[in-house]
Amino acid sequence: MLVACSFLFIFFVSAAQAAKPAVYIQKLKNQHYRLMVGGRPYIVKGVCYNPIPIGMDYDYDWWSDPNKPWITDGKLLKQMGINTIRLYQTHENSEAVKQVIRDLYKLYGIRTLLGDWLGFWEYPCPFYGDRKFQDKVKQKVVEMVDLYKDEPGLLGWILGNENNYSCLGHVNPWSSPEVDSEPDPQKQKLMRAKIYYSFVNEISQQVHKLDPNHPVGLGNGELVGLDSAAKYCQDVDFVACIIYRGKTFGNLFRSLRMTFDKPLLLAEFGADGYDAYLKKEDQNMQAFFLQSQWAQIYENLANSKTGEGNCIGGTVFEWTDEWWKHAPDSPDGWKIHDTDSSWSNGSYYFDIRAVGNKNMNEEWFGLVALGEQLENGLNKRIPRKAFYVIREFWGKPVIKKVKGKKAR
Amino acid sequence: MKKLLAVLLALTLLVPAMAAAEDKAAASPKEFVIFSDKNAKDNHYIPSGWMGDYGDIKMNDQTATNPHGGTTCIEFIYSAKRSQTQGWAGVYWQNPANNWGNKKGGFDLTGMAKLTFWARGAKGGEVLQKVLVGGIKGTYPDSVMVEMGPIELTDTWKQYTINLVGKDLTYVNGGFGWTTTADLNSNGATFYLDDIKFEVDPNLKPEVKKQQAMPFYIYADRSSIANHFVPSGWMGDYGDIKYDGSSKEDAYLGDTCVKIIYSGKTTQGARWAGIFWQQPANNWGGVDAGFDLSLATKLTFWARGAVGGERIEEFKVGGIMGEFSDSDSATIGPVILNKEWTQYTIDLKGKDMSYVIGGFCWATNVDNNPEGATFYLDEIKFE
Repeated sequence: MLVACSFLFIFFVSAAQAAKPAVYIQKLKNQHYRLMVGGRPYIVKGVCYNPIPIGMDYDYDWWSDPNKPWITDGKLLKQMGINTIRLYQTHENSEAVKQVIRDLYKLYGIRTLLGDWLGFWEYPCPFYGDRKFQDKVKQKVVEMVDLYKDEPGLLGWILGNENNYSCLGHVNPWSSPEVDSEPDPQKQKLMRAKIYYSFVNEISQQVHKLDPNHPVGLGNGELVGLDSAAKYCQDVDFVACIIYRGKTFGNLFRSLRMTFDKPLLLAEFGADGYDAYLKKEDQNMQAFFLQSQWAQIYENLANSKTGEGNCIGGTVFEWTDEWWKHAPDSPDGWKIHDTDSSWSNGSYYFDIRAVGNKNMNEEWFGLVALGEQLENGLNKRIPRKAFYVIREFWGKPVIKKVKGKKAR
Repeated sequence: MKKLLAVLLALTLLVPAMAAAEDKAAASPKEFVIFSDKNAKDNHYIPSGWMGDYGDIKMNDQTATNPHGGTTCIEFIYSAKRSQTQGWAGVYWQNPANNWGNKKGGFDLTGMAKLTFWARGAKGGEVLQKVLVGGIKGTYPDSVMVEMGPIELTDTWKQYTINLVGKDLTYVNGGFGWTTTADLNSNGATFYLDDIKFEVDPNLKPEVKKQQAMPFYIYADRSSIANHFVPSGWMGDYGDIKYDGSSKEDAYLGDTCVKIIYSGKTTQGARWAGIFWQQPANNWGGVDAGFDLSLATKLTFWARGAVGGERIEEFKVGGIMGEFSDSDSATIGPVILNKEWTQYTIDLKGKDMSYVIGGFCWATNVDNNPEGATFYLDEIKFE
């Protein structure tokens, strides 16, 4: 009898455990959020991964590279302590994608966040108000989910990136007859936001039906538009924000709590490693910002005493430098590690006195620099100081206020 | 003999020790004087940095009219005639004279806790926009920038203190400075300064940023002492902007309003333009000087277009990013202005307004205003 009861107990407990999704977000009694993977809390210690070699651009099919860059990188990623990579988009060669996910997970225990641009880079612009366009985008996401939902190395989905800026007309502006009929431009913005976030919500519901085992994130530039998301996009599980605020995320965590109370993944953040003012590489500057950013992420994890408790981790931008980014239309430029800055951000203040205040160097965001010499058919990976500083921080996270001086 | 050697040895050891103690005492004075009396031996710094409408300033550094201490004090007569069309003027005490950060000078004032000075107006009611310690940039920038103000002077001597506890005083070239504006003193101002000095004060605590009471004005009227922030952050096609903070063209309240003419000529090729009201002027996040406006739940302002239909892309609070970033930001827009005065509100509920250097901002562009735009603002305030 006792044995029979024990079996029953074990059966019910196992059944209860089996009912839990493989990956899910848990809301704690103190209203904090944490990501659970295989029944255990999981801090996303991640990196955005797009290993484009020197001389190639974003079109390069690294998935099919016979030298398998993810194998070489995986070893280094693991050495650093990274447990997650973020892929912005999958490739049409689904077997190659599966191979990458599997290799990283089996060899190094590294999980993958898969994303989709949601047609953001469609030409001439993403018509989020157009049903045909919506169906096309949704179908693509559905296919992605069908293909990869059963991969053990999968951590979750991220829908879009900074697509919300298109609602403001800042980038890839779009409209619809309904929006055009509204004379007030402020209301037009809100109408576009409603259309966009409702659409993402629809996709999110669809993904949940297909795959109840992985959470769905809403990619979002800053917190812009999230007051609309709170109304129309409640079915996403977390917000995956793209944030470039330098040393501090400021009140990001609290502000999100106030506007759209969802867990936060810092899906893209970081710092470049080139001083545009002194015109030389500055690994200390990059390490300084990244350490400060990670300290803030940790300060806002679940059960943190001082933070909001709504952060589930981050995927820093990015693993390797990408030499094509400054002059994407010029193949000759892809072979040059460009030092021209393309935009200005005062939060990265050490080199803000650069000409025209342009201090952000797109081709220098890598935790790992690329050498022109080849090793195993790949550009040599040269870890920057940030690689070691963050590794040390993750090994022994100490949260303290960072002052405005770079460590030397 | 042995005893003599012992005494000599002891003296050899003691004398340098005593000398070192004297050096230390000399290096740790209780005060560091900028001005006590004309030609006083302990004066430091030179009032050489005349700024803005320098032609509006007259200085007599040995006036004997009722000094606070000693036999002389410094008299400034500010005419407010806008001789250099700046609308403001001021004087920095520098070391060496005329050092705008292009040469090494300054003093290491580590250990000093405050700067004190005495001031009075000839009549009372004269307004100093601000008084400053440090803040000179250049190749050899000051290590500190602290300001206080505005100060409305009385006709009797009064001591003022700038708290410097916790500030980096390792290099101070701009020892002291004052600025004021023609708007704040439309009929000019005569005022007196005396006994300006840095002092040690072991009991003084670091200044805690106080929460500002509401309403907190950005612009009330051109001469209002309640105004805060400076419309110094001209952005984009700044050459397309004309700013008049004293427009009398149908002000919403009081006698003046802000008039802005945006020509849309794309002078700098940006195709857009805007102005940030900053604290202090030109602070793009490099100076730790934000106001704590935590009590604010909204920012309101009145606006109208000259003809109606002018489109402003964005009105904004906060959002300046730098070493000392605004703690939050909030925006409204695009806004199409009416010809009549209309009040607009930027909702700040739930926002972190504990540190604000960018008090207010507008931005527009030529694409939506191909013929440019003329518009007016008034009564800009946090509530």
